[in-house]
Amino acid sequence: MSTHVDVRPKTTPPSADKDVPHSPRRRGRGRIIVSAAAYLITFVILFPLLWIMLLSFQTNDNILNHPFSLSQLTLDNYRQALDTLNLLVMYKNTLILAVVSVTIGLVISYLAAFALTRMVFRGGRRRTQNTLRFYFLAGLAVPVYILLFPVYRLDISFGLFGTYLALILPYIAVTIPFNILLLTGFLRDFPEEIEQAAVMDGVGLWRMAWKVVFPLMRPVVATLAILNVIYVWNEFPFAVTLINDPNMTTVSLGVSQFQGVYSVNYGAMMASATLVLLPQLAIYAAFQKQVIAGMTAGAVR
Amino acid sequence: MATTPQPAHRTSRRTSGISRRLLLTATASALFVTATACGSAVNTADGSSADGLITLSMHNPDSRTQDPATWQMVQEFNKQHPDMKIRLEGQPVDQHEQRMTIAAQSGTLPEIFWVYDSLAKTMVKSDDLLDLSPILAENGLKSKFAPSMLAGFRQDGVQYGLPYQALVTGFYYNKALLDEHGIAVPETFEDLLAAVKKLKAAGVAPIAQGANNSAFSVWAFLTMLDRFGYEAKYPDILSGKARYDNADFLRLYRHVEELAEAGAFPSNMNTQTYAQAVASYTDGKAAFLDAGVWEAAKIQKSAVGKDTGFWAGPTFSDGVGEQKLVMNVPSAPFVVSAKVKEDKKKYAAVKAFIQFYYSDAGQKILVDNAQPPVTTYQPQVDTAKNSVFAAVLAEASKSGWKSPKAQPDLVVSAATASAMYDSFYGVMGGSLSPEQAVKNVQKTIESAE
Amino acid sequence: MNWLTTRRSFALMVAPALIVYSLYMIYPILYSLYYSFTRFDGVSAGGFAGLDNYRQMAHDDAFWTSMRNTGVVLGIALFLLVPLGFLLAILLSGRVKGSGALRALVFAPAIIAPILVGLIWIFILDPKIGLVNAFLLAIGVPAQPQWIGGPTLSPYSIGLVYLWQQIGFVLTIFYAGLRMLPRDVMEASSLDGAGRWQQLRYIQIPMMRETFGIVTALVVTGVFKVFELVYALTGGGPVHLSEVMVSYMYHITFTTQQYGYGMALAVVVFVVGALASAATFLGNRRKGEVR
Repeated sequence: MSTHVDVRPKTTPPSADKDVPHSPRRRGRGRIIVSAAAYLITFVILFPLLWIMLLSFQTNDNILNHPFSLSQLTLDNYRQALDTLNLLVMYKNTLILAVVSVTIGLVISYLAAFALTRMVFRGGRRRTQNTLRFYFLAGLAVPVYILLFPVYRLDISFGLFGTYLALILPYIAVTIPFNILLLTGFLRDFPEEIEQAAVMDGVGLWRMAWKVVFPLMRPVVATLAILNVIYVWNEFPFAVTLINDPNMTTVSLGVSQFQGVYSVNYGAMMASATLVLLPQLAIYAAFQKQVIAGMTAGAVR
Repeated sequence: MATTPQPAHRTSRRTSGISRRLLLTATASALFVTATACGSAVNTADGSSADGLITLSMHNPDSRTQDPATWQMVQEFNKQHPDMKIRLEGQPVDQHEQRMTIAAQSGTLPEIFWVYDSLAKTMVKSDDLLDLSPILAENGLKSKFAPSMLAGFRQDGVQYGLPYQALVTGFYYNKALLDEHGIAVPETFEDLLAAVKKLKAAGVAPIAQGANNSAFSVWAFLTMLDRFGYEAKYPDILSGKARYDNADFLRLYRHVEELAEAGAFPSNMNTQTYAQAVASYTDGKAAFLDAGVWEAAKIQKSAVGKDTGFWAGPTFSDGVGEQKLVMNVPSAPFVVSAKVKEDKKKYAAVKAFIQFYYSDAGQKILVDNAQPPVTTYQPQVDTAKNSVFAAVLAEASKSGWKSPKAQPDLVVSAATASAMYDSFYGVMGGSLSPEQAVKNVQKTIESAE
Repeated sequence: MNWLTTRRSFALMVAPALIVYSLYMIYPILYSLYYSFTRFDGVSAGGFAGLDNYRQMAHDDAFWTSMRNTGVVLGIALFLLVPLGFLLAILLSGRVKGSGALRALVFAPAIIAPILVGLIWIFILDPKIGLVNAFLLAIGVPAQPQWIGGPTLSPYSIGLVYLWQQIGFVLTIFYAGLRMLPRDVMEASSLDGAGRWQQLRYIQIPMMRETFGIVTALVVTGVFKVFELVYALTGGGPVHLSEVMVSYMYHITFTTQQYGYGMALAVVVFVVGALASAATFLGNRRKGEVR
């Protein structure tokens, strides 16, 4: 709470990649060792992924019985994965779910977070605001499996079952606690001066929320957007329970398609895992600067 | 402080456009979603019955490759009945059970579905399932079944289920491997133990088992339970008059421990899935495989196909009652949602599908996919081309051998069944002593039955 | 700013999130709470059970095992994941060429579906077909430990896999925290001749207390939600010895159809998780005030 948020760094790109200035005398051998360690650790962390990608080019029998033989590399798994999975439909559905639920989720989380932190009442209602904030944060500890039955029932009774909204609503609900945690964390330290200046200019409440404060929250919102998209992209329990139309399947269901009662096609699983993973990695790589910037801006205060 | 608002203003002007567009997109897509929602609601939420469309929901996500018999059955049915249509869908077995449970709660069960018998029985209690007796009474359908194939799926006078496939279970064995090490196909437990020791000494994995996410894969051992008097004992055990941790069962678990100590089971038994266990057998790495008839086709196609035989499992000199037992029982049932009777077209389609499934033409599809028929249909099996399947059928109908009425885990609650699986795998993997194993099951029975 | 705010606008702003959240998160908790007092089997009503389901836990060894294992994962998360994430953040905070790319790569495990994480690690940790034991053999170590599937090591392996999955995420937060440190302090200290270690010990760590707090809170709530990777990696086996709280609850609820008991377990998971995270949140706040 004490570290004062400085709006400057976000708008000055030069500091984007280097935080700590290194003193000139620290170069040379030490630096080589540090670099070597960094590369090595990264490699070790990435190795399991590379291993899976390698396995995805092996036959199912080889994966299970001779995982280290690289003699019979094949594209068969990919062929099977593409044959079985309607990837285009899956990507389309996942995108729709992700875009809609993440956008709505962020907008309503932001509104709530704004109200919980930036609003001041004459009688001093901090207590209500804090209680509500805790109420929202309690959701962080909810294991998703207790939601399945009741959510299914809610969807049925609202007549949403079989529609995208059946998934969108729970997705929004699940992301709200974390969104509120980060957004309130940032908003609480938001410098009052900006607001005061805006108030002097005669700006109303909603304009204040959207036109003055929200734009400054871009980095945090971008961070949350990416984390939320990752969540929706990977979400399995709701998807498998609430989707029963093959035209509505999502990418997270792809891998489980190869898991029969008595037969598991590990090769095709690895291949479809890779097919799900690569776009994710690409998206993250493209946006990772935003994530870091967002976290820097306020998430961690 | 004086300078702070300035950059803020600059950014705000630039991004307000973006955020407005963002909002617009969100609203637009929300509208789009609602629109498509309405569109799809018509044919999914309550299924327009005008076309007699029914859903068959199975425990495999991709039946075409994972359960070709059912897939072919549906294809053939749809071809023969242009006025009706069956949509075949499925999920991995855990998720399937979960979904059927939730659907039963909300009254949204699919028309026909596969489900474990224990779950089916709870559904009967809440009147979620259709009584199939009237359908069986028509066209002499009932006479096509051996009485034992239907008896297990009746409760409170309701015939709620029909056998989906037959469970013929036991050990597949690799004749070539056994010959190589001078081992005859075992008959008694002592034979099996001796074989295990020899194989282990020669560096061959004796029995392929896999417990990870497939704790149920202890079929051969469930038959052994019957060789220690399970069928006579279990009603009393469930009602509290007798105990699971009795001296007879304990002897069986001690035998399992002997096998484990002789190195019968693979070191990665607990982390490999059942599918991996099968793969290690078909790769010629293991001499025995604890499985059932459903693997016949896969094994036939593999390198060990021509060397594979099938064995009902060991007899015990210290067993209880009949030792010549081979497990040949109905597997989990097909059941029908009670709601079907409210819709004539759907009811007609369900009836037609059932009649087709258990007709000789339908049963032939099972046999063609190396599944034994569940009716009295006499299959023609090309013993040369389908040697594995033929071996299973031969073992199942060996003269002088009988089948228990049901598989032990299928007559108890899901909790008890799960505890039984754990008790076997616990002893096989050495994490439970025989005493602990039987006690654990008894404890579960006391709290769950 | 009093003139800006009315109760009506406050309500309007909070309402959408409040409604969705209450319906889809809080209502289910109450629903579970209700069923935890029944003998519900998931399909047909099973009658009121009072506190029986909660009493049953006391005698349920597997439940206590699952608690202990969750504790192991929590321990690994707090004592390995957090410090290692911090050190890695320092290591990758700009001195190394291409550190931006490295940071992105290290984050990769955090964006993979957890169920895949479990699947991936089977092929690494499996005592027979796994990479680790093959590597041990190759370098001449005869021991073939049962990383997973044995009676002892499984929870620790699960903890390490969780560490692997989360480290990129933790690193990212720490990295952001590092970048927030006022540059002039760092510059001044290095001009004063403070070594890298001294900078770390006396300046960076104390100044990043808030960040440590956030990371701890997130890691703690995360640990109480670990499920998929256990499900895929060991299925909770052998005989529930590697079960964590959520996976055991899943087993009881869905595999054994003891819905009432499963919901009682779920309520306990929620309460323990909520208490643990509340403790960390409050701990953070207190530390903040002391300063």
